[in-house]
Amino acid sequence: MKITDACVYPYPAGDSSIRRLALEAHALGYDSIIAAETPACEINDVAILSGMILTDISAKDVINRIKQNKESGVIVSVQARDNGFNRAVGGMNGIHILRGVHAVEKYAFDHVTAKIVADNGTAIDLDLSPLISGRGHTRQKAIHRYLDLMTLYRRYKFPLTISSSARSVLDMRTVREVSGLCSIIGMDTEDVEQALAGVARITAPKETAVKVIS
Amino acid sequence: MSVRPPTLREKRRYLLARIEPCGMPVDGKDLYYAIHESVTTLWGDVVTAAMQPAVISIEDGHAILRCRRGTERECAIALSTLFTCRDCQIVLRVIATSGTIESLRDRIKSMAHHLPKSTGDIPAETEECTFDSRAFQIVQCDGHKVDVIEKGFKNTHRLFLTTEDLEEK
Repeated sequence: MKITDACVYPYPAGDSSIRRLALEAHALGYDSIIAAETPACEINDVAILSGMILTDISAKDVINRIKQNKESGVIVSVQARDNGFNRAVGGMNGIHILRGVHAVEKYAFDHVTAKIVADNGTAIDLDLSPLISGRGHTRQKAIHRYLDLMTLYRRYKFPLTISSSARSVLDMRTVREVSGLCSIIGMDTEDVEQALAGVARITAPKETAVKVIS
Repeated sequence: MSVRPPTLREKRRYLLARIEPCGMPVDGKDLYYAIHESVTTLWGDVVTAAMQPAVISIEDGHAILRCRRGTERECAIALSTLFTCRDCQIVLRVIATSGTIESLRDRIKSMAHHLPKSTGDIPAETEECTFDSRAFQIVQCDGHKVDVIEKGFKNTHRLFLTTEDLEEK
């Protein structure tokens, strides 16, 4: 099982170089990290996966960007928006992760979207940064959204990923701390393990629906 | 007021946490207020009152913290939400929990033996470096980890790099 932090922002978006983030990730118990706009490589036994985060663009532009980056091995994440957008993006091939569910309105991610992403194998990202650095209403809203998301997760079993959205090594948390933070939103140890291994699950080659045996 | 007998005293647990970034001077009182704020905002007044978090001491870049027995897990979760102490970005990495302060002090001593020496790969006289075609001053060097601050008085933001990131001058 590969334990992955699903989103970090190395220098120049953040204040830590990718090598330092990899060094820190190894010390904190991670096997791989998805780094935004960084070529894939391996540093200090930590696999750096190249990530692309699409924000504030229409569903049509998302399709165009996926076509451009087809076969490049980049993990494509899309920032969640309104309900219609989430349904459209959740069903697209080539989208790996739907991010920022904590920041959208209450019904933007509903049971229909949950079914679509579960069928398509698109992961929903749990961003821990609002739980860590958020205070008051911001954190309460994020906890509420995540509790709601976990209800849908238990019903539809769509893949989950966990990200720190770290722009600094100081924003990263150990696997044990992540487990503790996730317990706030009702995740048990098994859920956390599956979510940390969520990236490996969505990037694994899909099995064919029908197995030819002769 | 007489001291309570041991059976009537409240049971406590002590947490050992490493303060990062290394070399950051942290005042115990400021850290107490930061921890108190983190615990209160996450768990509320009732749990904070039951937890009774406190800072015992800060030694060699480590903080020894205290809480009531049975609330260690909640305390550790709250500590993971701590990200600033008096306008400085810090993080507390909980290393161990114990029933005695002495065992945690022994742990600090044993870790001090295993830690790589500071400025290991970079000579002590080389306190300047370049990164991304800009001049930086090294403020902390621990093994491969190098913390730098851009030269000049305008930008005092710390960058976290490795020895491999640094360019030869």
